[in-house]
Amino acid sequence: MKRVLLLLAVLGLAVALAQVRSLDQIKRSGEIRIGTEGAFPPFNYFDEKNQLVGFEIDLGNAIAKRLGLKPVWITQAFDSLLIQLNQGRFDFVIASHGITEERAKAVDFTNPHYCTGGVIVSKKGGPKTAKDLQGKVVGVQIGTTYMEAAQKIPGIKQVRTYQKDPDALQDLLSGRLDAWITDRFVAKEAIKERKLENTLQVGELVFQEKVAMAVAKGNKSVLQALNQALSDLMKDGTYAQISKKWFGEDVRCK
Amino acid sequence: MPFWLRVPLVLALLIGGYFGLFALLGVVLERYFLLTGFGPDRAASAGAAMALGAEITLKLTLISGLAGLVIGVFAGMFRLSRRAWVRLPASFYIWVTRGTPLLVQILFAYNALPLLLKPLWPEAQQVLTPYWAAFIALSFNVGAYNAEVVRAGIQAIPKGQWEAAWSLGLSPADTMRFVILPQALRIVVPPLVNNVVALLKDSSLASVIALTELALSGQRIISATFRPVEVYLAVAAIYLLLTTVLTSFTNLLEKRLQTAGR
Repeated sequence: MKRVLLLLAVLGLAVALAQVRSLDQIKRSGEIRIGTEGAFPPFNYFDEKNQLVGFEIDLGNAIAKRLGLKPVWITQAFDSLLIQLNQGRFDFVIASHGITEERAKAVDFTNPHYCTGGVIVSKKGGPKTAKDLQGKVVGVQIGTTYMEAAQKIPGIKQVRTYQKDPDALQDLLSGRLDAWITDRFVAKEAIKERKLENTLQVGELVFQEKVAMAVAKGNKSVLQALNQALSDLMKDGTYAQISKKWFGEDVRCK
Repeated sequence: MPFWLRVPLVLALLIGGYFGLFALLGVVLERYFLLTGFGPDRAASAGAAMALGAEITLKLTLISGLAGLVIGVFAGMFRLSRRAWVRLPASFYIWVTRGTPLLVQILFAYNALPLLLKPLWPEAQQVLTPYWAAFIALSFNVGAYNAEVVRAGIQAIPKGQWEAAWSLGLSPADTMRFVILPQALRIVVPPLVNNVVALLKDSSLASVIALTELALSGQRIISATFRPVEVYLAVAAIYLLLTTVLTSFTNLLEKRLQTAGR
């Protein structure tokens, strides 16, 4: 699967660079196409009314408004978002991508739009710190930065990878996992949504990361416009307002 | 009942049944999600979203099954042709399609095909939405399997039938059309039906290119509610329901063909 995607990515990169739109072309069309996953609450997901909502959706809409463009949202599988970005299917991606060296080789990242960290989630009485994970079985979502972080913690018995975070949570509840490592906001949301406050505990931050939007490699004009719009929103209070609405705190990087 | 009355009546019943099925499914799913502890708003939207996903799954299966039937009949006949320029392309198509996983074909149709077609057809990327990319991949996939079924069916017709037709002065093309195919098609109905049922289940692979069919609409609800057990149970039940509806129709068709054959 991974190899197939890689192959398609290479194939895509070779032929597609010409299709990526510059800021002028986007402005002429009046619409900016934004890619996201739509399965990562509370950042981007489908709510009770089956509408695409979340912190990043509000932020993306605010940025589009700032640029005087109409946002068009396109949802795609997380592990193919950056590939399709380089093929020109969307003008930028906002889907909680942590900045990593590997990804920075394929796409260009904007300034971070929030900071977060991976936490250890376990049943009450289970492991809480990285040290406690010695000899334990840990679950993570595949292709995420948490997966890489978990694999670096020494002494872990096994790191199991899951297609989606809910599958890892389910195995944690059924006792097949000792701990689940995920984004701290996802852990909070999951515990709230399933009312697991009395069953689960959230342990320490395993690592911290900066999360940013991405544009196709070398698409400077769009990158600059996004950075400008983001810093404007951070200055004029719009960002703080959106962040408070979703998290009750300001999640920008300090 | 006269024929001209029966046809529109059956058609109306089918269309009414189609929409009735999915409306009912939405209501039943809402009840089910309420029972399993979803909030009322979430239960209603989850029911509606999954009913819509089920409809997309069935529609996609029906149209790609139909296209795959046409492709399969022609590819199957061409594979038996004595002319190499007819036979070899068909053999090549069947070889490639049966030898690669459907998952890769779907990813290829969505991610690579628009780029390969771009020199000839610049709008390919806009036209090949997840739905039409899935349609292309599924119909060509099932077409290759159908082709083998059709070939086996044609080869099952005794040689004497060909000889008899030729001795009456029929051309090879006419023999195929009027003598062999009508008999062969009756033999191949059960395996073709089998392929369509498999296609319905395989269409769940289209979720990798974010086509919101049944499997993906389930996954979306899971990622918002963190409840894989309840949702996957419903997803599996709906697939079972859809395959059951499909086979009960085709069983009827088989019976009809059998009596007509005797």
